[in-house]
Amino acid sequence: MTERITGVTRRRAAAMAGAALASPFLFHIARAQTANIKVGFPVPLTGPYGAEAQDQVRAAQVAIAEFNETGGLKGRQAELLVRDDKLNPGEAATRALELCETDKVDFVVGSLSASVQLAVNNVTKARKVLYNSISQSDAINEAKDFSPYTFHEALNPHMTGGAVGRYAFAKYGKKVAFLTADYAYGYEMVRGFQAAGKPMGVQTLIDVRHPLGATDFSTLLPRIQALRPEVLVISNFGRDQQIALKQATDFGLKKSMKIVVPILLYTGRIAAGAQAFDGVVGGTSYYWGIEKTIPSAKAFNDRFRKMHNGRVPSDYGSLAYAGVKTFLMASRQAGTTDPQAVIPVMEALKYDDYKGPEYYRKCDHQAVQSVFIIESKNAPAGDPDVFNVIATDAPNEVNLRSCEELGFK
Amino acid sequence: MTVDNVVALRPSEPARGWLSLARRRRAWLASLLLILFPLIVPFKALAAQILVYGLYALGLNLLFGYLGLLSFGHAALFGVGAYFCGIAVATFGLPWWAGIGLGIFGGTLAAALIGALAIRTRGIYFAMVTLALAQCVYYLFYEEAGWTGGESGLTGVDVKTIDLFGVSFNFVDPLVHYYVICAFVVAALFALSRILASPFGAVIEGVRENEARARASGIDVSRVRLVTFIVSGAFCGLAGALLSLNLSIVSIETLNYETSGLAVMMCLLGGMGTFFGPFVGAALFLLLENIVSLYTVHWQLIVGAAFVACVLFFPRGVWGTLMQGLEK
Repeated sequence: MTERITGVTRRRAAAMAGAALASPFLFHIARAQTANIKVGFPVPLTGPYGAEAQDQVRAAQVAIAEFNETGGLKGRQAELLVRDDKLNPGEAATRALELCETDKVDFVVGSLSASVQLAVNNVTKARKVLYNSISQSDAINEAKDFSPYTFHEALNPHMTGGAVGRYAFAKYGKKVAFLTADYAYGYEMVRGFQAAGKPMGVQTLIDVRHPLGATDFSTLLPRIQALRPEVLVISNFGRDQQIALKQATDFGLKKSMKIVVPILLYTGRIAAGAQAFDGVVGGTSYYWGIEKTIPSAKAFNDRFRKMHNGRVPSDYGSLAYAGVKTFLMASRQAGTTDPQAVIPVMEALKYDDYKGPEYYRKCDHQAVQSVFIIESKNAPAGDPDVFNVIATDAPNEVNLRSCEELGFK
Repeated sequence: MTVDNVVALRPSEPARGWLSLARRRRAWLASLLLILFPLIVPFKALAAQILVYGLYALGLNLLFGYLGLLSFGHAALFGVGAYFCGIAVATFGLPWWAGIGLGIFGGTLAAALIGALAIRTRGIYFAMVTLALAQCVYYLFYEEAGWTGGESGLTGVDVKTIDLFGVSFNFVDPLVHYYVICAFVVAALFALSRILASPFGAVIEGVRENEARARASGIDVSRVRLVTFIVSGAFCGLAGALLSLNLSIVSIETLNYETSGLAVMMCLLGGMGTFFGPFVGAALFLLLENIVSLYTVHWQLIVGAAFVACVLFFPRGVWGTLMQGLEK
């Protein structure tokens, strides 16, 4: 976290805040003169997902720059208002309130955990502000939390778990053990895997739950080993995933079973190194290596490399790019940022921003998109090419929970 | 407990005229400051958060500053208040005022239960027992996902309008939002001022200053502790209820031990045992954090340094040191 990620816009926002502190009157004058399209961007810059969040900011900046270079919306330029939500729903709700009420943003894009995105969604829903969520959650699709103003660009656990399950169970075996982080994300993933496995006759041998932030799996792994599963599904995230994989490798589990994870994180693989992840199969919404076959990915990667010193975008980062870009493109097509005009355009949008064709399903505004099945390879440290794309689960509404299942009539 | 020994315990009033007048009108002055507050803060949502956290810290301050008991479990009182209000509004569709009533009840109930168990211990043990019990509450609410939403939190605590005496206020409007919350905080300020000025208030401070002497004067010290803990719980419960209405969600993080630490931090920063200190602490903490985080991702470093400076140069908290300077 050595990079200063604040752009001119944030500095200006801060200056406005400072001016407002000095005098309430100055503040109102300062606000009146901007007619830019404002994109509020609350992400957890500090905390355990800081690396992902900062990559999201970089990717969002790419979308903003592209939009502005191509003329904006009738000359109106877009600007990104980055806020730190600290991975805390209360903080995120406060930041979202400020973005909606004080900054009067046109769109909100962001968040990196299920609870945080539900908090932001709740705020934007009540204030009729467009929101694109870029982190995985099943709950946001459900009718209970649905907002006509909210879109979900990220995958959801049902899609991810399903895609990886269909691939892994067919290829590696039907006797499955689960090692699962004991919270909503873990349960949703397991549910996704089991839904995919049911028609295939998959047998669940055991579902071992571990507390969030566990550092020692040594008591759990022998239990799994003793049952001799063909596939071990490890549903956890971030550092938990790195430690679990490392210990599973040390225990020799990889010799007798295939280890599968729902989301194989790019930043996690880079941080933990090749050995722990070697041979592990998982899903992802995006891997930069697909640029070999997908032109829009190539264009996005090139632009990202140019803007950010040759770096390649991460999976969660790219979601921010698409999340910001679809709103900007839709508003350009609608000729306005008025939500009532933008929503129908978004619902009709067929887009290929960076990973192949996508569209938002009408009932729950979930982005129907492909899931890439990737396998970690033994790449030397410092080489960004760490995964092989071994299959692609094509975009198909059948892989989503049906609208009726979600409670829509 | 007779009136005589209460009077004997009352700390001597400073002689200076205007200061003692200000002290007698402390609730009025504090309320006035809070009413003018949104004029100087850039973000109304942040101003409302400061009110809520100020009230929460004020609840702790009654126990910590005035009675001298350090609790590390106040998040439980705050969080239970928030969840009770949230569940009342979101799940049962009760009106907002019922939510607030239930929030206060929730805080009081949690305080009575935790207090009854923890009050026998003192010092570091009291802090640890309250922390442990608050963690129990955390996991209870975390597991009961059907009621609380668990990990995902409780959403949909939406209050769109506030109807009062036939007038309908738009609660989504940030300024209305602020002043509705402010009204409750002001009421709480007056209540606290009244409690502190009462014989019971004097007893609280008496117990803090010299427990043996208070006991020798015939005061039931454990009962004073328990009652203060429960009253503190009522304030925290109200703060929790206001939090859930302010953000229209309740997150499980509200019950986290970090939230308990936050109140202690705010009390220390503003000045423990001072009437307005908790609000000053809450304002300093939240404003610093939010304004610095606009500039840089390294805000924690700068905010941390600022806190160290506060502790070094304002040993009684910012407000406490200021008041001490005025008294001299």
